[in-house]
Amino acid sequence: MNMEQNSSSGGSASRSSPAVPVRNRRLPQRPFDYKFQLILIGDRGVGKTCILERFSDDTFSISSKSTVGVDFKIKTIKTKGKTIRLQIWDTAGQERFNSISAAYYRGAKGVLVVYDITNEETFENLPKWLMMIDKHAAPDIEVIVIGNKTDKEELRQVSTERGEKFAYEHNCRFCEVSAKENLNVKDVFLKLVDDIVDKVPPEISPFGFEDTKLSLPRSEQGGREASRVFCCTTG
Amino acid sequence: MDELLSDGEKNAKTVTCQRCGSVVLKPNNATLVKKEKFLPSMRKKSEGTDQAGDTLQEFWLVTDMYTFENVGFTNTVENIKFLICADCEIGPIGWHDLSDKQAFYVALERVEHK
Repeated sequence: MNMEQNSSSGGSASRSSPAVPVRNRRLPQRPFDYKFQLILIGDRGVGKTCILERFSDDTFSISSKSTVGVDFKIKTIKTKGKTIRLQIWDTAGQERFNSISAAYYRGAKGVLVVYDITNEETFENLPKWLMMIDKHAAPDIEVIVIGNKTDKEELRQVSTERGEKFAYEHNCRFCEVSAKENLNVKDVFLKLVDDIVDKVPPEISPFGFEDTKLSLPRSEQGGREASRVFCCTTG
Repeated sequence: MDELLSDGEKNAKTVTCQRCGSVVLKPNNATLVKKEKFLPSMRKKSEGTDQAGDTLQEFWLVTDMYTFENVGFTNTVENIKFLICADCEIGPIGWHDLSDKQAFYVALERVEHK
């Protein structure tokens, strides 16, 4: 978690440290337009890590006994002509509702709340996850509710309609995915990032966005008031 | 070696994952540094042999983690986070020592240059 705090407070020390600006013509152009932090939350076993991984069995091991898990990833996506760096945090292993550090939520611009369509209980726990977001995250955070494991249709316990209805009632986006079959996973990230980018006030310089967020009034767009449910069903 | 460098010190080519081709760094974003560092071997946990690793000499140095196009960070082991491919998670392809916030190293031997 130290790194996250550093990256958000410094925005990279290179920008803030030199007292005298150092001009270096060789410095490459800043290679992205925006950077955002996203987090993945949801009950244990719903497939958060699989959503973030393409080949989940290939994590390397430091010794034959222990596998070193992934802490976070930097991923680049392009949308609407913008290049976006995402820092994505997987909270797997910290699923007890109050054990996910508030620091994860604090810096995040978007959150993916995942449940398992074959496990009713993980769906019923969604309100608790949304409460955690309301408690710890910025009020304008973008939320998408994700029903995972559409590859196990025969075991489905939560209908698509119920998922849609829940998301609609809580003013979140909604999507069903299969991480295993890599179905809709990329769409979910793109949708979420589009929503975040749409909120960036056009007059704000993209590079200054992260540093200025604390002083910006965001009243007209704050909160999850706009209902923009969409569903990319797999059928 | 020279064909990998531009301006005598930067990466002239795109740095990608050896296995899946995921783009790690775009050209001219990292600086070559020579440094001795032991990294655990790149093998899947399914492969049995207990091969410890290699001492590597040449690295691409990046000073801001957002310079990477795609990269994964492992959990911390003895104050170090290993860098892995963000897509297929092969690694470690490099490392980051938490005591130096502005240094992220990618081993030349463990990536492709295209």
